[in-house]
Amino acid sequence: MERLKKIRNFCIVAHIDHGKSTLADRLIEKTGTLAKRDMQEQLLDSMELEREKGITIKLTPTRMNYTFEGEEYILNLIDTPGHVDFTYEVSRSLAACEGAILIVDASQGVEAQTLANAYLAIDNNLEILPVINKIDLPSARTEEVKKEIEDVVGIPAMHAPCISAKDGTNIEDVLNMIVKEFPCPKGDDQKPLKCLIFDSFYDNFKGAICLIRVFDGKVKVGDKIKMMQTGKIYDVTEVGVFVPFAKSTEVLQSGDVGYLACSIKTISDVAVGDTVTSAINPTDEPLPGYKKVQPVVFCGIFPVDGAKYNELKESLEKLKLNDASLEFQPEVSQALGYGFRCGFLGLLHLEIITERLEREFNLDIITTAPSVFYHVYKTDGEMIELSNPSSLPIVVEIEYIEEPIVKASIFTPPQYVGAIMELCQEKRGVYKDLSYIDENRVKINYVLPLGEIIYDFFDSLKSRTKGYASFDYEIAGYEKSELVKVDILLNGEKCDALSIIVHKDKAYTRGRALTEKLKKIIPRQLFEVPIQAAIGGKIIARETISAMRKDVLAKCYGGDISRKRKLLEKQKEGKKRMRKIGSVEIPSEAFMSILKLDGED
Amino acid sequence: MLGVYIHIPFCQRKCNYCAFSSFVCDEKEVERYTQKLIEDINSFHNKYPQDRYKKVDTIFIGGGTPSLLPLNHFEKIVKALKDNFDVSDDYEFTIECNPNSLSEEKLSCYKKNGANRLSIGVQSLDDDELKFAGRIHDGEGAIKTIEMAKNYFDNISCDLLIGLKGMKKSKFLNGLDRLISLGVKHISAYMLQIEKGTVLEKMLKEGTESVPDEEECIEVYEETTKFLAEKGFSRYEVSNFAKEGYESRHNLKYWSGEEYVGFGLSAHGFLGDQRIACADRFDLYYKDEGMYCENLGNKEKIEEHIMLGLRCKIGVDKKYLMQLGYDIDKNNSLKDFIENGVIISGNDSKLFLNPQFYGVNNFIITSLLPD
Repeated sequence: MERLKKIRNFCIVAHIDHGKSTLADRLIEKTGTLAKRDMQEQLLDSMELEREKGITIKLTPTRMNYTFEGEEYILNLIDTPGHVDFTYEVSRSLAACEGAILIVDASQGVEAQTLANAYLAIDNNLEILPVINKIDLPSARTEEVKKEIEDVVGIPAMHAPCISAKDGTNIEDVLNMIVKEFPCPKGDDQKPLKCLIFDSFYDNFKGAICLIRVFDGKVKVGDKIKMMQTGKIYDVTEVGVFVPFAKSTEVLQSGDVGYLACSIKTISDVAVGDTVTSAINPTDEPLPGYKKVQPVVFCGIFPVDGAKYNELKESLEKLKLNDASLEFQPEVSQALGYGFRCGFLGLLHLEIITERLEREFNLDIITTAPSVFYHVYKTDGEMIELSNPSSLPIVVEIEYIEEPIVKASIFTPPQYVGAIMELCQEKRGVYKDLSYIDENRVKINYVLPLGEIIYDFFDSLKSRTKGYASFDYEIAGYEKSELVKVDILLNGEKCDALSIIVHKDKAYTRGRALTEKLKKIIPRQLFEVPIQAAIGGKIIARETISAMRKDVLAKCYGGDISRKRKLLEKQKEGKKRMRKIGSVEIPSEAFMSILKLDGED
Repeated sequence: MLGVYIHIPFCQRKCNYCAFSSFVCDEKEVERYTQKLIEDINSFHNKYPQDRYKKVDTIFIGGGTPSLLPLNHFEKIVKALKDNFDVSDDYEFTIECNPNSLSEEKLSCYKKNGANRLSIGVQSLDDDELKFAGRIHDGEGAIKTIEMAKNYFDNISCDLLIGLKGMKKSKFLNGLDRLISLGVKHISAYMLQIEKGTVLEKMLKEGTESVPDEEECIEVYEETTKFLAEKGFSRYEVSNFAKEGYESRHNLKYWSGEEYVGFGLSAHGFLGDQRIACADRFDLYYKDEGMYCENLGNKEKIEEHIMLGLRCKIGVDKKYLMQLGYDIDKNNSLKDFIENGVIISGNDSKLFLNPQFYGVNNFIITSLLPD
């Protein structure tokens, strides 16, 4: 098949900030897909439009044309997210490619996610092309880094293109290597249709859109297609490619990367990882799909203004349209009222979602402390899974609890090994091994409880290593652990939204830190308010907020009643941000404050 | 009956903490201003011809420093008032004054023209505190002035400031005792507020001066309240204390939602359902421009009724709120407040704020406002 020989499907993987997006931009520019002048503007415009529609294309595929030795090639670049939380999405895009560019920062060298991403690519049988970026930096140590890649990742790197994506240096080397090194796709137009849905997003006009890689056969407007997993049949209304904007084409054939629209009403009808085939002439066997991704971090999200529950619900539904990994279900809290228990791929994912709710949907929200999924074995033999501390059964009903653990690898200059080990120790880590990558870098492996990682681990690691260490982890099952629930009582009343599950050795410190923090955050009330931390019936820490003594003794300016009234109206608005536990008013920040206890004061 | 407020925006010098409309002005400006005031008083009934606006029972000349006003101007203004309004037999007529600008001549003139209440800006009897505040009188001067004023007026009120630099509890209470023994019947005690754009704000920002911390001020305020109670003064409003029968009737009008008219620069009025404020710049004021008018709807009336009623002994009328469409009994906080003695539920559908909680009335009021 001559046509296939002119196609290269590839992605770019890298540790965060090693220059993935910059290189992608350069490739688009160099191939003339977009004029330099238009790039910024057009890309931004498109983003804004997408935002209006409530969509974001996370894995953006871009089709580029490139002439090499007189022959024209089609290069399909599939963008990937660059954070450990989204490893799953990276692996999805890898399945649609034959090659992966592995970018490594010339001064930083191999980092935790360099390795993690490289392994993902190897697992997916991709050809890996290492590229050394940022050679313009004075601190660049290009040759050493090449050796590092060979030693640590275990792939040849001596002929890796050395580039500066920022300055546009040696970009053509990369393009040439893509053509030369990456295999062309295999496939047969004559066989029954077989495509992989590697992502989807929602368009208000066209419905759910599938991002696909065609492996066999072809698909065009009017075709009847079948989703092999869901069994649903649709008429294709549009096919196209991204240049980088959606542009409809007549047909997509084997080897192509593009999109497919068929008036699918809801995004949940599109299973990412599903195989699309022809309804008339179906293929026998689907492509190997993906496992459904499981959220690992959970928290409650509540509207600050209880009346905005429905708005929050609609916003989450909109986000879910383009983010199948986001999970949520209704939750009722005594303290916070109606809201949702939400599941995320990691802390970053959690942050992104909450930020989008606030920025794009203009919602004021309260998030409760992030938690993991626990396995609680009860004395009656039943096992329940929960992430919400307030759902934990009473102590006598619990036989034991298991918590999720992760295998973590940390890359660091050797001088920080002590600090990192101390941190991992504090976080209940179990040391596995340590190896020198070269004289300047060490890789340490630990097994850590996930619950400790989501609690201030990244920040501590960063501050204790001055930002030099990098970190990656993968979920590694469940382990028994001595966990207890610490409750917070305000004026003697339990505040469910402030409960946390912690290891028993830390309960005391956390309880004390929590009460101290709350004392600072909760404003004085009309009467004295005791804040207590308790395990079961036992009080482990106590603080007291003394009663408010004054909020106004100033003159009611002559007859200027309007000014005074407006001031009060404003204060009243402020009060809407407060939650009431019994007679105690708590600012919404208090609920978030428990996320950040360590490393302060 | 209508209340009348007249603003005299002139001072010998502006106090360091002052954010009111007051200016140091020359004679010509004072003349022009008086003229404008008289015009406004004369034309008031053209705009407001209703009968209820003819009869007046409280007059308050405030400032600024009204006692700076040359007596001939003062008499002209009073004449204009008498020409245009029917002053009730039982009336209250207050003049605000500064200790250093009073004289036997002035006092006698005020009395002759019908004034029956003085509000004296004492602020403090401590010379250092006064100096810090930028006042031009001293403690002894203030006492002498009060002694002199006592010969003309029975109803004397003193303004005091808590929170000036150098404040001491014992000193403050001694001063208070002195004022009471001089026969002062009414005390307005305010906590010093650092207002934007004042000299004081600048001094504090630059760090050249400091003021006592809030805890200390609250302590003094609480002691003051206690002390005044012992001396037979009732706290009838957040910042106001009076012997029986000496409450400021004019100020009570503000809090009870009664009507009043304001003449002069930045003077406020409440007529019909309209809150009015004159311009706070001379140029605009002279051209009758820059007026602020706000028509109160039910929502605003409800808010005002709660906010004003709870800051003084007048209280809140549940029936009135109900007429305006707010069933305050449905408010979640009210029950708690009543149970804890914060709000006192009187007979005939009235609610009062327990004076013990006057200092935190913002918190309580905002909890009781409708959503």
